[in-house]
Amino acid sequence: MSQPAIQMCLCGSGLRAARCCGMNPAAMPPPESSRHLVPLVERAVTAHRQGAIETAERLCLDVLELAPDRPGALTVLYQIRKDQGNHTAAEALLRRVVALDPNNFAATNEFALLLLAKGAIQEAEAQARNAIRIAPQNPQAHNLMGMILTEAQRPQVGEYHYRKVLELSGARDPILLANLAWNLKNQGRMEEGRELYKESVAAAPDIRQTLLGWARLEEADRKFDAAAELLDRMEKQWPNDPGLLLSRAVLLGRMKRTDEALTVLDQMAGQSTGGCLGPNELAEKGRMLDQVGRYDDAFAAFSEGKRLARELSGHHYLDGAAENLITRLGGFFTAGRLQTLPRASVRTDVAQPIFVLGFPRSGTTLMEQTLSAHPRIVAGDELPLINDLTGLMPRMLNSPLGYPEALAELWMGDQREGLDNLRDYYLQKVAQMGILTPLAAWFTDKMPLNETHLGLIALLFPEAPLIHVIRHPLDIMVSALSNHFTHGMFCASALETAATHYVRVMNLVQKYRSEMALRYLPIRYEDMVTDQENTVRSVLDFVGEPFNPKCLRFHENQRYARTASYAQVTERLYDRSRFRYRHYLKHLQPVIPILRPHIERLGYTVD
Amino acid sequence: MSSSRAGDGGAVLVPVPMEELFAVAGQYERSGKMQEADRLLNHILAVAPNQPDTLHMSGIVAFRLGRQQEALEKMEKAIEYGIDIALYLRNICEVYRTLNRLDDAVAAARHAASLGPSDPLCLHNLAVIRYERVEIQESIAAAERALMMSPDMAGAHFARAEALLIKGDWEQGWEEYEWRFRIADAARMMPPTDKPQWDGKPFDDGTLLLVADQGFGDVIQFCRYIPWVLDRCPNAVIACSGEMVPVLREFLPENKIFFRWEECPAFKAFIPLSGLPRLHGTRIDHVPVAVPYLHADPARVANWQDRMRRLVPCSYKRIGIVWAGRATHNNDRRRSAKLADFAPLAALPGVALVSLQKGPPADQAGGYFGRAPLINIGAEVRDYNDTMALLESLDLVITVDTSVGHLAAAMGKPTWILLATSPDWRWLLGRSDTPWYPTVRLFRQTRSRVWSDVFQAVAAALGDPAPPDAAVGKPKRKRSAAAAN
Repeated sequence: MSQPAIQMCLCGSGLRAARCCGMNPAAMPPPESSRHLVPLVERAVTAHRQGAIETAERLCLDVLELAPDRPGALTVLYQIRKDQGNHTAAEALLRRVVALDPNNFAATNEFALLLLAKGAIQEAEAQARNAIRIAPQNPQAHNLMGMILTEAQRPQVGEYHYRKVLELSGARDPILLANLAWNLKNQGRMEEGRELYKESVAAAPDIRQTLLGWARLEEADRKFDAAAELLDRMEKQWPNDPGLLLSRAVLLGRMKRTDEALTVLDQMAGQSTGGCLGPNELAEKGRMLDQVGRYDDAFAAFSEGKRLARELSGHHYLDGAAENLITRLGGFFTAGRLQTLPRASVRTDVAQPIFVLGFPRSGTTLMEQTLSAHPRIVAGDELPLINDLTGLMPRMLNSPLGYPEALAELWMGDQREGLDNLRDYYLQKVAQMGILTPLAAWFTDKMPLNETHLGLIALLFPEAPLIHVIRHPLDIMVSALSNHFTHGMFCASALETAATHYVRVMNLVQKYRSEMALRYLPIRYEDMVTDQENTVRSVLDFVGEPFNPKCLRFHENQRYARTASYAQVTERLYDRSRFRYRHYLKHLQPVIPILRPHIERLGYTVD
Repeated sequence: MSSSRAGDGGAVLVPVPMEELFAVAGQYERSGKMQEADRLLNHILAVAPNQPDTLHMSGIVAFRLGRQQEALEKMEKAIEYGIDIALYLRNICEVYRTLNRLDDAVAAARHAASLGPSDPLCLHNLAVIRYERVEIQESIAAAERALMMSPDMAGAHFARAEALLIKGDWEQGWEEYEWRFRIADAARMMPPTDKPQWDGKPFDDGTLLLVADQGFGDVIQFCRYIPWVLDRCPNAVIACSGEMVPVLREFLPENKIFFRWEECPAFKAFIPLSGLPRLHGTRIDHVPVAVPYLHADPARVANWQDRMRRLVPCSYKRIGIVWAGRATHNNDRRRSAKLADFAPLAALPGVALVSLQKGPPADQAGGYFGRAPLINIGAEVRDYNDTMALLESLDLVITVDTSVGHLAAAMGKPTWILLATSPDWRWLLGRSDTPWYPTVRLFRQTRSRVWSDVFQAVAAALGDPAPPDAAVGKPKRKRSAAAAN
């Protein structure tokens, strides 16, 4: 008889699948039955501490084969796999430690950091919240929360946690100050951020990340000389630092010194192993080449940047998930069903949202800057809240179903006010973000692709203006190619998938619009450029606010937009971005057939 | 000789004479099995591509299957190879008419009539085409020639009726209009009955059954006669489809409104609503116009006003629009437009388009990207109660010839109705007003099935602060499209 093959776990932990990711928790023996293994775990800890990694690894594998739920052995094995660069196994092991012992502060903290580093911000936030629940007076827990919320584009709440760290620790740690400064920069509070950077650098002058962050604050605040000075200062110490060089290239680009920027990028490529730039550097290089009219070279740089980003991040378009969600949304929001669903009532005591909808890179930032120049409208930026609500909804409505099917709970007597609760969650989070001012009657939410959730938005905010920024689909593709963004289930990881997602979302919008009465206004980006005043007037009319000439001078709006478009919207309106696709027509051939029906439906041509 | 497969196995090929195959195809065609007929005819054409009868019948089948261009090609070829056959020419008329090639249609019809001088169907076709070309006198002449040959030809009587009515000769027109129920393929108005059609004489010793016949627009237009009927027959009840209850409730209590034949009470006589203008003796200068004769439910009006306020700021001029009628209407090709045709209106500042469109054409709202906001309120409208209440929130209704136009007009709302070159008879010819509704303004196509001029004219009228006939369609709100300029 042959022995059955041993199935090792695919995560790479070194354990059998049945003892690792394929483990059945219900079949585990009670913890006390494996207490005789405790001495082995202690030996593993000691061996690891002493650098005897092989011994420690063997001991851990032995222990976990017998008792896969021993947290000590799991923690040591996690450390070993992490140090070996085996991120998949490390994550799986640490996840198990946290699941087995939810009160383990160190593991929870570590796990949240790991998730943050990998970009899984929503999950990281859940772990950081746990860390604070476990240790509410621990500065480290609040620091973690500050970092995560800053990344999650809720810097106002993040600021609270950073300040809590200051209060709890009773000290002004220079790195904490730099983190807080970055947070304030993201809120557009440049002067306060600058002062904190100054304080941080005075206390610890040689921290690379601090100087880099400060330089980026100055660049974003259009203090190009100050930014250059900081980069010069860094250069003395870290002359070939990639972060420095990229910031230098970006700065030169903004100063219109494109050739010099390209030279810096070439220098970076020369220094790197293999002579290659990273994805961000390649995108920057492509943009520079575009500016000087070298379109073939620009396209090559963009494409290589996308390829490299896919390779390094492992992020590919979540094709199946996107299709599934969009099919379900289209199937759920039908006129017949909507006639039976309630709508949230409208709050009159707080500012109301204006949803600025559009595919990433279609001009939503420009629209928001324009609107928020109005005295009664403030910018909310890319609020992640609608997306959050789609995740929270099943729990908030006490439903066994997911989004959108969980909305069926609204038919139950005890969930009739369910939409009001969801609405209030959104509004409360907005209030916490501190974006509202006493004069504000409106705030914008310009999270790209919120149009995917038009049905939900219209149920929650039946009066909210929905401003959909439309742009030539091929121009959007050029922009998607030249920037890295994760919106739309990583659709921008390749040109074809960006086009596919665009078509899916636009078809869904069409479905929503034919099934629902929406307060919806499509606005063409091109009209914003060529017929600015009339376009702005029509948007303000639709919102119900009087025209204000300040909106035409949005580039004077001192507000800092956090997103990739910030450099563009601080310039006067320019025509360069309109029909930019013409330079890339031959490169765009693969996506033209995918997009053609929408190009025509929107009244554009390809020429 | 051709051959046919025996059984599903397809192994044995049995020769079948082509004439027999053609006869079978003809049976299929007559019994409405178009796909089967199509398959057989194409089979014959593969062997005998120029056989005129097969080409002709294959053309008819393609036409019925909606493949009009193919139908035309086959029928033209049939005419080419089957010289001077009146039947082919008579049938190709309808294809030309459908494809809006009216010159070709009239030429073919005249040629057919010359080849088949004793065939009244050729003349009937000619009458229909002449009407569509707005050659009303010629239409009447053709119909009358057909009737000389075949005095009971219901289709020719009806063609004559429509022509008489549109030119304003209502006295003769109403009489001819009575032939409408005798057309061979006309939908039956009601189950067979031995009771007589009402002659208009008063009686109170029995029940009069009114029948809300024809389209919803007809019901809305002709329900105005119900008070006149009740003066003569107080025991009137009405049979209608359920959708019409909100309209008919204006005139009759709900226990006198029936929408199942089996629930209708026994009656002494019946009369379709569309037969009342004849009994009433309606003439162009004698139309009962108690407009508004329909009213919305105030509670619903308040709800819809609130809903509209949430969807469009009140600074906008709210224009309700309908671009298409029911696709099964036999005149739908001519009367329906597309949402995209409203582009000149969508370019006007200060205008919000409020779609009242229902049915499959409503999907076009999803693909609208014009400058004026479009509120697809039709998606929330459940019935005519809703539509009537919603109309109270609008400044103006602009519609092709649909029931919504009648509804708004019967409520006395400013209503602009957009008409084909050869519209339904009730809109008469050449005028921009109508004796039926005082608040209606008519916009007419100048070229057959071309809407662009009409919408340009509508946009110009909207932008004109003081149109010559400003009493009609005058906006209620202070801020007009022009004021927003």
